[in-house]
Amino acid sequence: MGDVDRLRLLASAIAGRTLEVAGARDGERTWTDGTTVFVESHARPAEQVRMVAVQASLVGAGSLEPGIVRQLGRGSSLARRYLAVEGHRALATNEVLPLVVRSLVDAEVAGSVGRPEDSLGVARARGAIDDPPASFGVVRPRRLLTSAERTDATAGTSDQVQGRPQHETGSRLDEDDADDADWRRAGQLVSSPVGGRGALGRLLKRMLSATREPGAGGPAGADAPGRLVRARTRRLGTVTPTSVAAGAVAPTTPFQPRGRTYPEWDVHRRRYRPDWCTVLEHAPRPQDLAPMVVPDAPAFRRPLARLGTGLDHTRRRPQGDDIDIDAAVEARVELLAGSPPGEAVYVESLRRRRDLAVLILLDTSGSAGEPGPAGRPVHHHQRSAAAALAAALHDLGDRVAVYAFNSHGRRAVHVRRVKGFDDRFDARAVLRLGGLVPGAYTRLGAAIRHGASVLEERGGTSRRLLVVLSDGFAYDHGYGGRYGEADARRALTEARRRGLGCLCLSVGAGTAPAALRRVFGTAAHATVPLPAQLPGLVGPLFRAALRSADTERRAFQRDRRTRERLELETRMTP
Amino acid sequence: MTPGARPYYVPVGIEEQVFKAAFRQGMSVVLKGPTGCGKTRLVEAMAHDLDRPLITVACHDDLTTADLVGRFLLQGGETRWVDGPLTRAVREGAICYLDEVVEARQDTTVVIHPLADHRRQLPIDRLGVLLDAAPGFCLVVSYNPGYQSVLKDLKDSTRQRMVAIELSFPPPDVEEKVVSHEAGVDHDKAALLVQLGQAIRRLEAVGLREVASTRLLIAAARLVAEGLPARAAARAAVAGPLTDDPMVTAGLFEMIDAYLPDDG
Repeated sequence: MGDVDRLRLLASAIAGRTLEVAGARDGERTWTDGTTVFVESHARPAEQVRMVAVQASLVGAGSLEPGIVRQLGRGSSLARRYLAVEGHRALATNEVLPLVVRSLVDAEVAGSVGRPEDSLGVARARGAIDDPPASFGVVRPRRLLTSAERTDATAGTSDQVQGRPQHETGSRLDEDDADDADWRRAGQLVSSPVGGRGALGRLLKRMLSATREPGAGGPAGADAPGRLVRARTRRLGTVTPTSVAAGAVAPTTPFQPRGRTYPEWDVHRRRYRPDWCTVLEHAPRPQDLAPMVVPDAPAFRRPLARLGTGLDHTRRRPQGDDIDIDAAVEARVELLAGSPPGEAVYVESLRRRRDLAVLILLDTSGSAGEPGPAGRPVHHHQRSAAAALAAALHDLGDRVAVYAFNSHGRRAVHVRRVKGFDDRFDARAVLRLGGLVPGAYTRLGAAIRHGASVLEERGGTSRRLLVVLSDGFAYDHGYGGRYGEADARRALTEARRRGLGCLCLSVGAGTAPAALRRVFGTAAHATVPLPAQLPGLVGPLFRAALRSADTERRAFQRDRRTRERLELETRMTP
Repeated sequence: MTPGARPYYVPVGIEEQVFKAAFRQGMSVVLKGPTGCGKTRLVEAMAHDLDRPLITVACHDDLTTADLVGRFLLQGGETRWVDGPLTRAVREGAICYLDEVVEARQDTTVVIHPLADHRRQLPIDRLGVLLDAAPGFCLVVSYNPGYQSVLKDLKDSTRQRMVAIELSFPPPDVEEKVVSHEAGVDHDKAALLVQLGQAIRRLEAVGLREVASTRLLIAAARLVAEGLPARAAARAAVAGPLTDDPMVTAGLFEMIDAYLPDDG
């Protein structure tokens, strides 16, 4: 990402489908792999626009389809000749070609060919062809094919899998054959669900996610400076549950995570283990960005719009649907008695103000990275659901936060802030969500306790809702089976006792309902195979969670009042 | 509609014929189409052609039944009934246009059921009367299919008596004509703005809640007609209304610069 990222919309519009724009490596000409346009970073802005327009037009005109590209072979000369002809055709046939690019089109060349195949024919013929203008950039057949194969292998699974390795592709200058093939095989083994579903693939993936992220909740991207990674590893080793008191923050560097301890429920001994888990909250990191598609937010908006905004009939209003008989009679009496009558004599039905803060807690443990029954990784479904929910709630004016969590044992429960309550929900927040890479384990209870306290402290509204998106596999070091399930259930009960609504969603994981019930207990929960099925469910689920929260909150407040009164009485009694 | 010039509407298909046929048969019409594509303008033009008064209600989610049907007011010691816009249309035999009816509350849309079907009656329970629609009354509702379908909220019997007309953004040549006529700019300037609009409509999943509508393009063209440079006009009238997001705004500005000439 960088400055050229601003050309993303333009590229997508010209191509007629979503295209990313990134900076090419120094010395590289502008090129595309079919999903990202790598543009010469040092070119003038106006020239960059032209370059992006040409590459996007090629994508949009079908000039770079594998069937054609495969015939371009390995040499660069045929590709160059092809581009010199096909580039003009692609530009000329584009319905939305920007004004500033039109001067590039050679109408004579463009008019002489009707299809990419024609351009290929001309390129193969012996006739003299001028080199394409500098603004055309280059066509790199092998990169295109590698990318297309990877896209096929993942079968449109994800922007994530497509996104990251392409940057690696873009960063490679040489086109060395053997190396390339090896790299491709390795890449497929790890990143495609086809290869990844095997035992070796899973093992590799686990290893990679464990080594690539030394404890951090998010990925230590390939581009992260090594120094940072080392520094964090060292620091993590020094954080202990006892040295950091709850709520204490000691930010010595910007990368120092906030540590906070929480108890854990030991179901075997029937008691809490005080200060057992340390939760480290990480600020979003600018380098962990990847594009993702936000699913249909309007579909969610409608069922969520009516939440907690029922109508109240309010009496004695200056305007309204019906006459407030009592007020009208009084006003009449006042008038007859000689005093000025009140004018508020109507009954108005007023909508209750929306007063809702929602914290979405996203499970980014390694198990979420594995493909669910539908083939796509569970993480992608959960991420889509989180994005759609956050977008819909944000649009409706609710306070929304999105946090992602995973863990490496009880002393390193990582909670990454994707969007805080006071952050904007903008394209950058979506990129941060897209940049999450699942890895490590799930200490669900500690994450829920931390989410609940963040919600209480920073939610800022009276009605608060915690949404947990997880496959429901609570597993960490010394945190498995019945122990983990009991602790997670306990954490949810604690939150609900304090008047927070709790809602647990499992999307695309195919977890058995009985297993979910063991983890989520009586909290409102549901499991669906696809995010698209959520809109029909969120209305009733949110309502159920909020209703039970309202009841609990009233009871909680009543209890507190009773306690205070009792204390007062005890103090007053000599 | 008062006599005068016909509101400018360029038909794209046979929507005008369908509308008029439905009107003559006393059927209700539902217009589907994205925001700012000309739904309201079509109704205005039809009201003019059919020589009926037009009563438009912009629906919102706090619109109550009383807002549509009417209510009692107190004046001095007396109560006085005041007709709502729907009741007025029923009495006068006007075309009643409920714009963006999906936005209205569900309990409010219930009152249009008996009006939309063969009974053509409006019950006013506060008055205890059942009002028969005067000849010439026509109920027109519109909604944006980007949101949830309102037809789901209507009873089957009602649904089957409504005639649906689907509108979308006009093809480029028609849209150029519309923009140029509405804003009073020359055809070339309109064509450039329309092309920008076409490009923005090709974007998917970039965080825009709505796409650039014909209405937005006309707004930009009107600024151009006032002498503003094309790019500045589009920034103010197209990019600004579409998004608040800084990244998306930067992307839209880039598009505007690419599609519009630098005449500032």
